[in-house]
Amino acid sequence: MTDTLTTFLLAGLTLLTLAAWALALHRLRQPGEHAIASTAQQTLVIITGLAAAGLFLHRWLFVEGAWQPLTAHVDGLLLIATLFAGTVAFLQSRPRLLGLSVFGLPLLALILAWALCAATWTYRPFEIDTLHPVWRGLHLAGVYLGTLGSAVAAIAGGMYLYVQHRLKHKQAPAQFGRLASLEALENLIIRTATLGFALLTLGLVAGLVILIDEPDAWEHASLARYLPKIVLATLAWLSFAVVMNVRYAASFRGRRAAWLAIAGLVLLLAVYGIVTSSAFAPRAAAGGVSSFEFRVSSFPSGERLAQHRAQGHQPENSKRETRNQKLLKPEVSTCAS
Amino acid sequence: MRLLMLGINHRTAPVALREALALTVDDQQALLAELRRRYPLAEAVVLSTCNRVELYIARPAHEAPKPAELRELLAQRAGVALDTLGSDTLVQREQDEAARHLFRVGCGLDSMVLGEPQVLGQIKRAYETAVAGQAVGPVLHKLFQQAIATAKRVRTATGIDAGRVSVGSVAVDFARQVFADFADKTVLGLGAGEMAKTTLRHLLRQSPARLYLASRTLKTAQVLADDLQLTGAQGGARDWGDLDALLIEADVVIASTGSREPVLTADRFRPLLKRRRHRPLLVVDIALPRDIDPAIGDLPDVYLYNIDDLTAVVAANVEQRREQIDACEAQLADAVALCMEQLEHRDVGRLIRQLRHRLHEIGDAEQQRTRRKLATIAPGTAPDPAPGTAETEAIEALLDEHTRRVINKILHIPLSQLHDPAHGVATSFYATALQRLFDLQEADAPTPPAPPDTEETPAADSSPVNMKS
Repeated sequence: MTDTLTTFLLAGLTLLTLAAWALALHRLRQPGEHAIASTAQQTLVIITGLAAAGLFLHRWLFVEGAWQPLTAHVDGLLLIATLFAGTVAFLQSRPRLLGLSVFGLPLLALILAWALCAATWTYRPFEIDTLHPVWRGLHLAGVYLGTLGSAVAAIAGGMYLYVQHRLKHKQAPAQFGRLASLEALENLIIRTATLGFALLTLGLVAGLVILIDEPDAWEHASLARYLPKIVLATLAWLSFAVVMNVRYAASFRGRRAAWLAIAGLVLLLAVYGIVTSSAFAPRAAAGGVSSFEFRVSSFPSGERLAQHRAQGHQPENSKRETRNQKLLKPEVSTCAS
Repeated sequence: MRLLMLGINHRTAPVALREALALTVDDQQALLAELRRRYPLAEAVVLSTCNRVELYIARPAHEAPKPAELRELLAQRAGVALDTLGSDTLVQREQDEAARHLFRVGCGLDSMVLGEPQVLGQIKRAYETAVAGQAVGPVLHKLFQQAIATAKRVRTATGIDAGRVSVGSVAVDFARQVFADFADKTVLGLGAGEMAKTTLRHLLRQSPARLYLASRTLKTAQVLADDLQLTGAQGGARDWGDLDALLIEADVVIASTGSREPVLTADRFRPLLKRRRHRPLLVVDIALPRDIDPAIGDLPDVYLYNIDDLTAVVAANVEQRREQIDACEAQLADAVALCMEQLEHRDVGRLIRQLRHRLHEIGDAEQQRTRRKLATIAPGTAPDPAPGTAETEAIEALLDEHTRRVINKILHIPLSQLHDPAHGVATSFYATALQRLFDLQEADAPTPPAPPDTEETPAADSSPVNMKS
């Protein structure tokens, strides 16, 4: 479990996001000018984003005192929440994307609630391989930012389906509040899916490089552990590959592109679920293919990690432990010198 | 003064009759001049828009012009048979109802598009035209200035002019919910009906890349294209034989032909979907009977709306805005009551002055007679015509005082009745009675115009007023 401040702040931010969502729903259900509600909603989202960023920095610099920002899944979720809140704040200020916050804010609340869960009940520090700092950085950045892109594509997809449903049922914008047009939403889906696809490609390739480098990666037990993540991540990647090309594959445009964008995010969330689930938790990495080793002596937060180990979060694989010990020796000597 | 409103509007008269009666600014000036010539004591304002032609008259009670005379004048100027302007077509309102009608028109409550703002500008221009023609007196000055000021205040307070909808604007709303931008979109108009023209005008304001018109008679399409001022680059009339190609290119279709059978069936349209590369298509079918097979609406990427769908939205909008309408009506009722009260007080004040003047005239005449009789009965007691003694002056003062006291005693009760607000409803009755009993002149001729309390300048052109009201 993380510190109390993190837990309380995350709970507060989740509530703030839900309040912003309530305002967005009110604006949707009561067409007309809502200058105060609009400003209040935008302010709440910005506060949430800034507070999430502050909490992320607080955990990085003061709680974990680590040399790198992402030490646990909660940090990754805070990073996504920060970026997503910024994106929602930007999107809801765009006149052409009216109403998108109604669909974006629940997802932001979900991310924050998930972060709260990851900070309290399922808290696990990452096992980080320092042999591949560049690949790991690319992997984490690609996966998190790719998820951000796919999340925006998915909420645009959800909204597309909603707007289309309203249009097919002859519900006029004048009666039920103006929302972004189908065309604007499809454009947003395509752009964000393209962005998500590019970043996920980067993340997956980096993860694959790390996996290939892993000596026992192709053993049956390891493969069985990583295969679901790899398959789901690849499927998500494929769905975004289709969505970004709907202008050329016309039969996938519109409703199908919206569903594919949603399916892509669901698949990615499933990957995150697998990463944070108890069965895989001791080997958890930031949403993608895991790296494996602790380098306790080299981390400023080594004591904390050692405490976690003492509390029963030891890596299960003794072979890895042995390899870890081998890796530790030169580092210790470096530090000593 | 009695207020009278006589006219036709979009509820009572078909478009052809409204067109016949519509007046350009020049026509309005000519009509006002005619009214002034015929009825010098009356005040007049002529309001003419594409949806209404109305005369507002303030005239002395029981004086011309009578409604029948105005009806005859309107029919004569429009060149229509007098029977055309029957009681079901011609709207007639008097006094409070006439004022209330003007206030409602100003707020857009009587408009085809509820709350539309253009009518307020049209009322201002009509008033300014009448002022320029010296056809407005104190009554209509007061009435129109208060109507304009009230309309502005009520519109701001209730927001009645926000969220207004018409069939055309609903079609555009649907189009804007499908498309973000019209700069690269193609609009196709099928048929050349009046509704299609109105809806296409709404769409043209969105600046689509192209607008094609197809009619089973090319000439009809060409006439509409000319009417919409479409140039070659913007589209224009196309042959009906090109319909499939046009449907592949189109993003928005407005259908309004006079066909008895659907001009576009699902079987015909389904093969075109793939050739359209599944681009969304908005189809607005405002024809009766319908032009578009309803099954087309079930196809993917097609959004079909018929006239019932659009009018249902318009009706729902009015229903949704019931609170706003009620708020407007309540505010208008107060404003109309205040305006009419002020007009009535003005009339009563003038009437009292006239009555006093009349009685003093009578008193002076009788005083003269008394003097003469006194001189005959008791010479030396009657005041001399030349300045006399102190005794003579005292007698004269006594006579004056006597006369004034008698007049004041006589006037006390009727004036109390007129001033008593408890008799508000009966004030006009008493006023009319006094006027008749003492043969008082009610009206002054229309006065030279006071500076109008409006913001807009009068329309300089003589084009017909052309907005919805």
